[in-house]
Amino acid sequence: MTALDYLLLISAITVVIALLAGNMRVGGWLVTILYALQGAALLMMSGLGYSTLTVVQSSLRFNVLSEQMLWRFDALSWFFALITIGAGLFCSWFASGEWGEKYRDNGGSLRLFHGALALNVFTMLVLLASGDLLTLFIGWELVSWASFLIMALAGGKAFNYAMRYISYAFAGAMAVLGGLLLIYAEVGSFDFQSLKEAAPQMQASTLWLLVVLLTAGFGVKMAILPFHLWQAKAYAETPGPGAAFLGAISSRMGLFAFIVVIVQLIGISRLVEMEIPYTFLDAQDLLAWIAVFTIIIPTYIALRQHDARRLLAWHGVGQTGYMLLGLVIANDLGSAGGLMHVFNYASYQAMLFMAVVAVMHRTGTSDLNKLGGLFTRMPLSYLAMLIGIIGLAGLPPMNGFVSKWLIYRSLIVDGSPLLFIAAVIGTLGTILSVYKLIHNIFLGQLRVEHAAVREAPLSMVIPMMLLAAVVFVTGYFPGLVLDWTSAVQASIGLPVLAHHLGGVDMKGGLDMIWIVSVLLVGFGFGTLVFFLGGRSKRVHQLDNYAGGHFLTAETRYHYSDNFYPGLMHLIGPWYRNSFEWLERGVISAVDILSTAMQGLYRNAHPSYLLLVAVVFALSWVIV
Amino acid sequence: MHFYELLVELLLMPILAFVIGLAMVLMMRRIGARIQRRVGPPVLQPIYDIIKLYSKETQISHGLMHEIGIIMAVGGFIAAMTLLPVPGMSGLTDKGGAVTLAYMLMIPSLGMALGVGQCANPNGSIGISRALTAMLAYDIPFILVIFGASYVYGTTNLAEMVAIQQQQDVSSWGIVQMPLLALTALLILPATMGKHPFEIYVAPSEIATGPMVEMSGKFMGGLFVMQCFQLYTAGVIFTTLFLGGGVYWITFLPKIFLVVAIPMSVAYLFPRYRTEDVLRLMWKWPMLLGLIGLAVVMK
Amino acid sequence: MNELDKIPVRQELSVAEGNVKRSNPLANVFDELVRFCQSRSMFMLHYCTGCGAIELPPAMTSRFDMERLGIQPMVTPRQADILLITGYVSVKTLKRIILTYEQMPSPKYVIGICSCTVNGGMYWQSYATAKVLKEYLPVDIYIAGCMPRPEAVISGLRDLMGDIKSGRADNWKRYFQNYDHYLGNQQKLFGEDWQTPTDIIAEAEHYGLMTDQTLGEHTALLQKHQQPLEALEFSLGEKREKIQGENPREKNNE
Ligand code: SF4
Repeated sequence: MTALDYLLLISAITVVIALLAGNMRVGGWLVTILYALQGAALLMMSGLGYSTLTVVQSSLRFNVLSEQMLWRFDALSWFFALITIGAGLFCSWFASGEWGEKYRDNGGSLRLFHGALALNVFTMLVLLASGDLLTLFIGWELVSWASFLIMALAGGKAFNYAMRYISYAFAGAMAVLGGLLLIYAEVGSFDFQSLKEAAPQMQASTLWLLVVLLTAGFGVKMAILPFHLWQAKAYAETPGPGAAFLGAISSRMGLFAFIVVIVQLIGISRLVEMEIPYTFLDAQDLLAWIAVFTIIIPTYIALRQHDARRLLAWHGVGQTGYMLLGLVIANDLGSAGGLMHVFNYASYQAMLFMAVVAVMHRTGTSDLNKLGGLFTRMPLSYLAMLIGIIGLAGLPPMNGFVSKWLIYRSLIVDGSPLLFIAAVIGTLGTILSVYKLIHNIFLGQLRVEHAAVREAPLSMVIPMMLLAAVVFVTGYFPGLVLDWTSAVQASIGLPVLAHHLGGVDMKGGLDMIWIVSVLLVGFGFGTLVFFLGGRSKRVHQLDNYAGGHFLTAETRYHYSDNFYPGLMHLIGPWYRNSFEWLERGVISAVDILSTAMQGLYRNAHPSYLLLVAVVFALSWVIV
Repeated sequence: MHFYELLVELLLMPILAFVIGLAMVLMMRRIGARIQRRVGPPVLQPIYDIIKLYSKETQISHGLMHEIGIIMAVGGFIAAMTLLPVPGMSGLTDKGGAVTLAYMLMIPSLGMALGVGQCANPNGSIGISRALTAMLAYDIPFILVIFGASYVYGTTNLAEMVAIQQQQDVSSWGIVQMPLLALTALLILPATMGKHPFEIYVAPSEIATGPMVEMSGKFMGGLFVMQCFQLYTAGVIFTTLFLGGGVYWITFLPKIFLVVAIPMSVAYLFPRYRTEDVLRLMWKWPMLLGLIGLAVVMK
Repeated sequence: MNELDKIPVRQELSVAEGNVKRSNPLANVFDELVRFCQSRSMFMLHYCTGCGAIELPPAMTSRFDMERLGIQPMVTPRQADILLITGYVSVKTLKRIILTYEQMPSPKYVIGICSCTVNGGMYWQSYATAKVLKEYLPVDIYIAGCMPRPEAVISGLRDLMGDIKSGRADNWKRYFQNYDHYLGNQQKLFGEDWQTPTDIIAEAEHYGLMTDQTLGEHTALLQKHQQPLEALEFSLGEKREKIQGENPREKNNE
């Protein structure tokens, strides 16, 4: 048995235990411990994965149609598996305490929830371990169904959104299948190695078809434009920590498959050679622009949301764009940034969702217009959200800054001003909407009905705090994560980023240890300066300037709805829901087609059809 | 290595920035007074104001985040000052370049925004919403300028940019190399300082000074300190990117004061724009100029 | 002439007069520096109640330029040091003035511009006007006149500067120290259930400004009506508390 066997075995056991014991009080904790064991199996492979990971084979393999199917882990799989298991661990920890009890009391099946979560982790590990294109496709399908399961748990609206997802996923899977068959036809094997060898000789037209099919197929899972519509709603409606899990890692599987097939096997350099006729763009530029629009459009959709979970989920779609952008740029800085962003993003997105779920747990709503002033009531959740939004907005000293910095820097090195500006526009939009998020929930006036709200229970706070520590520490010492991404870069054949514990050494480099230290010392001096002044007196929130008006608790003195009216006045008309229109158009086209088909096939005299078919067949035989 | 020297530099840079910033605030108020045919405040007025604010006997706070917000606002600027090269001192410029600086400068604003949010005053929240909108307006052309400069100089390290510009005489200055980008930066300068006609988020007669509405005593004092740093930062960034930066204080000081004086002299002549007009304005002319400038330098 | 002398210019100076020096000479220098800065930097909130407001624009702008004395207009009470009451004060307005005054951070000074603030002026017979301002708030300087010219306003402000510099202008302490007296007068005018959303007693306690005159029958009456206004404190654990400052009426409905 190899370490990978152990990992997959424990993961499978987790699923079984979760389904058997999920409803019990200890079930959740048991499952959490099993996730920790999966983590241990992961560490068995290569310590903390410091660039030494050689390929770990699984002893499970069999032959289908003379093709060998095998599962193995390399640095890339290890990196993604680390995030997956980490997300699973924290989310199930979060769900095991009071949240789970409340969920069960409200009629949810905790058994199904834990089972679905464990199944998600398991299928993702299977996908990550895939050693050839066939296993990749099998893993891909498994992951799609597993995420459908967890999305549909809540029923009702959530089920509709999950159905929407699964129809997208079907289309995506068909595209992937088409791509794989094309590869088989061209290469004659599902082997990674043979595709890698064959790729440079492929014809441009075949390659184009391949790239379009695979990017579209994998892109559905990533929710890149124009397939972005399904994700946010489906994730937001997933019950509590499930949303945190899906938001953190689920759609990264699309990125993983994209990296394996497009970046590793076909190669970005091959894409650069594929020029788009009559323009000065090539396939790489095309992908980069798709990535950039995936950043901008969902981010500005997020700005308009007034439900905290929807807002976060839309940002999740937008942040995918950064990862894709970094990887498509594919120089040492960019790909390191893109890969690092996968880790960073998972850490703070899970935390942000958890903070929102904690607020929902206590107040029963995630509507940004029905909250406010919870800072004094839920200070630790506030801290988690604060650290999370600093990360999400990509400001120092959190880890999100480092990965975005790498991506920006790669764009400067690459000399692509428009991509750079577009990436920054995304970041600015993120800052706007995350401030709205934290302001409307935690700042401003506390509502009367929330006066007795308490901090979330420890079982929910501890995972948040641990994730907050991860976000801060990997921002302080980005070298920790950059070690892993370098190993990944080496294993997928990209230029390796020269880095050290604090950041990147280059002309105009970055040393986060210095930056964060100086920031902390600056805060220290700021505190000194602050305490130079006299003793402060805390006053009640109704002791407030209102132009001489006497405030009472029944006056709602709070600003939340339509938070950016000036901006919306200008850009409001630019939201045209074109993609919704497009989607509806496609749906009605399919609808009409299927009705026509049904009419033809079922109602309109099958015997005529048979006759026609026979005539054709005969004529073919005769001629 | 000169570790202790570096420490001294790190300590000295914020202090100098603060002192110069005080002088800039004075200059700003004097310019305003002169334009309005007034005498203006006495020389030490900014110091009087700050001492007075810190020495208020009752300091009204709306809670912990209100206090932390002000600490973040001042502390963030103190930290950011070490990334700005000045004559004889380059501090941490090799540890984080222009992009890092641009994002470091958002930390104080974030701190202020959080502090204001805790005040539970909608005027303050409206102010922050407008301030963030204004940031969205001017940061896009600003980042364009940063990109252009980094591309031309081949580095994001501000100290290296200064060194490159000092290789020859004035002809190697950024303003000669990329005049259009310099013009873009000059156009957005008043907006970055939040002065007329772009002071949409202060708007005393409209939203009661927005973020400052509930700030009293040392909280207000912290914002006054922050303003000093803000003016100084604007002057130094422009000078570093386009005016050859600083080698000697004797030439450096006039340059940064001139840079700050230009938008100030224009500021008092115009009334305030509406929020959406600020966006429209910033996204039209500076963007257009910047893009043309970028096309010129990248060709 | 005798009649004119009766018009108050300053409210009776504080008991602490001549007693502002601390024994430590260094602390003394520091105090003096602080007082100097306070006198040279006055942010004013002009509560433009009556006709006198019209005299402020010339005092602020190019003709007389208050800024050269370090005097600037400010917008909210939190930012201001001096409260200018520029004219007659109607009863409704007085409520707002008191709230505004209570929201200002100390040291704070009140200047009554116009004769109407001294004794009601030509509104002496009005039923709707609060006549003697100093009964409700500790006034530091009166600038009499119907209306006083900008020169007079500036000269009054200079007097206040002198007082601040010498440490005599600590009338704001009276409000905390004699709160019961002021509150009594306010209650007489506005009725028993008069209250503002500010908590003067807590502030006096916090800064050690309580005397035996602070609390009394009137504050007892206030505390009977007032919803306690404690700042929202953190709650991590089981502590359940009600939000304060709720409207009593709403409570009754429950
Ligand atoms: S004193 Fe004269 S000018 Fe002043 S408020 Fe009274 S009536 Fe008006």
